[in-house]
Amino acid sequence: MHTRHRLELFIERMAAPRASKILEASGLTGYTILPAISGFGGKTRWSRDTDMSASSDMVVIISIGADAQVQAALSELERLLGSHIGVLSVAEVKVLRPDRF
Amino acid sequence: MDIALATLLSPIVLFFLLGLGAALLKSQMTIPEAFAKGLAIYLMMSIGLKGGVAISEGDLGWDAGFVMISAVALSFLLPVIAYGLLRFTTRLGAVDAAATAAHYGSISIVTFVAAGQAIAAAGLETSGYLVAVAALMEVPAIISALIIAHRSPGSQESVAGSDRGELAREVMLNASVVVLIGSLIIGWISGEKGMKTIAPFFVEPFQGVLCLFLLDMGLSAGRGLRNGWRQLGPGTIAFGIYMPLISGLLAAGVAALNGMGTGDAALLITLAASASYIAVPAAMRLALPKARPSIYLTLSLGITFPFNLILGLPLYIWLARAITPGAA
Repeated sequence: MHTRHRLELFIERMAAPRASKILEASGLTGYTILPAISGFGGKTRWSRDTDMSASSDMVVIISIGADAQVQAALSELERLLGSHIGVLSVAEVKVLRPDRF
Repeated sequence: MDIALATLLSPIVLFFLLGLGAALLKSQMTIPEAFAKGLAIYLMMSIGLKGGVAISEGDLGWDAGFVMISAVALSFLLPVIAYGLLRFTTRLGAVDAAATAAHYGSISIVTFVAAGQAIAAAGLETSGYLVAVAALMEVPAIISALIIAHRSPGSQESVAGSDRGELAREVMLNASVVVLIGSLIIGWISGEKGMKTIAPFFVEPFQGVLCLFLLDMGLSAGRGLRNGWRQLGPGTIAFGIYMPLISGLLAAGVAALNGMGTGDAALLITLAASASYIAVPAAMRLALPKARPSIYLTLSLGITFPFNLILGLPLYIWLARAITPGAA
């Protein structure tokens, strides 16, 4: 097994294309976007079924890559989260096929 | 009083109240998300087609053109008034106030549909071109609010990952604009003859589908209110009620100046008095991401929409009658 970094970004759906662009520009060209159902944050409870425009929906973007790529993405993602609602975490993970990341 | 009672006891309002009550009582009842979106598209297609058919029968003249221009001008102006009132009467910051103001200059297509039903029930007729007016009033308020917001310090910083075209795409090509304008054109091209072939799907079931949709709207409004009411101060809640009345009065002036009929005037007043909760929130998340959706969404969907549906509609019909004495 080989060590890589897993980037997990909870972010509002409307900002997901912006986050995707940052990931791709940083060389993290493999990522998956999952829908989030409901949650609580910023003193507010939210859920997918309260907003007809779906503009308050949240998604989770998961990407795994080498340390250099993840570090390259972090500063821009930090700028993105200065404007948009979201939470970012990075963790060390083990992968089976290192040539893919 | 009769109109007020008839509106309040109409199936669409009663279904809305059922959804609202269920959500406030924390019922687990839900309408599947994709189904609700399908209902919204159906309703917009239906009113777009009907408007297009009416236009194909000669419902579009210079008078309609003047109404369209006045309505666009009104939609540009309303956010300026709303912003001033919000800054003067509440503690909202410049960005939150501008984002909220955009919602009150734009329109709610569901309120428009419900108003069409209430106006018809009151025995009044409306013109098909007002569907085009509704589509035209979606966008100017967004532009107006962005100009206001960009005057505040720090608001012109670019957001990482953004590009120039994304906001324009969201504003000009959002689902309601595309479906409304597209259906309007299709209805205009196909005319009455084409409409007859699809009437069993788009005309007869309309009322029933509207009831289903209003039930979902009630659930959404109730959940939004339950989750977000703590974010709203008394001044902000009051704004959600008096701003539609101010907008409605201004639209009544526009309707009187244009010599509109009573039904058309009532519809224009309702459009101006309504607040967006579909097109504008999405645009605001892109353009003003620092604005808090828990304020503008809760206000437009949880306060203004129910107010307009339950009390506003009879009031706007009464106002239209008052400014058009002798008109049909």
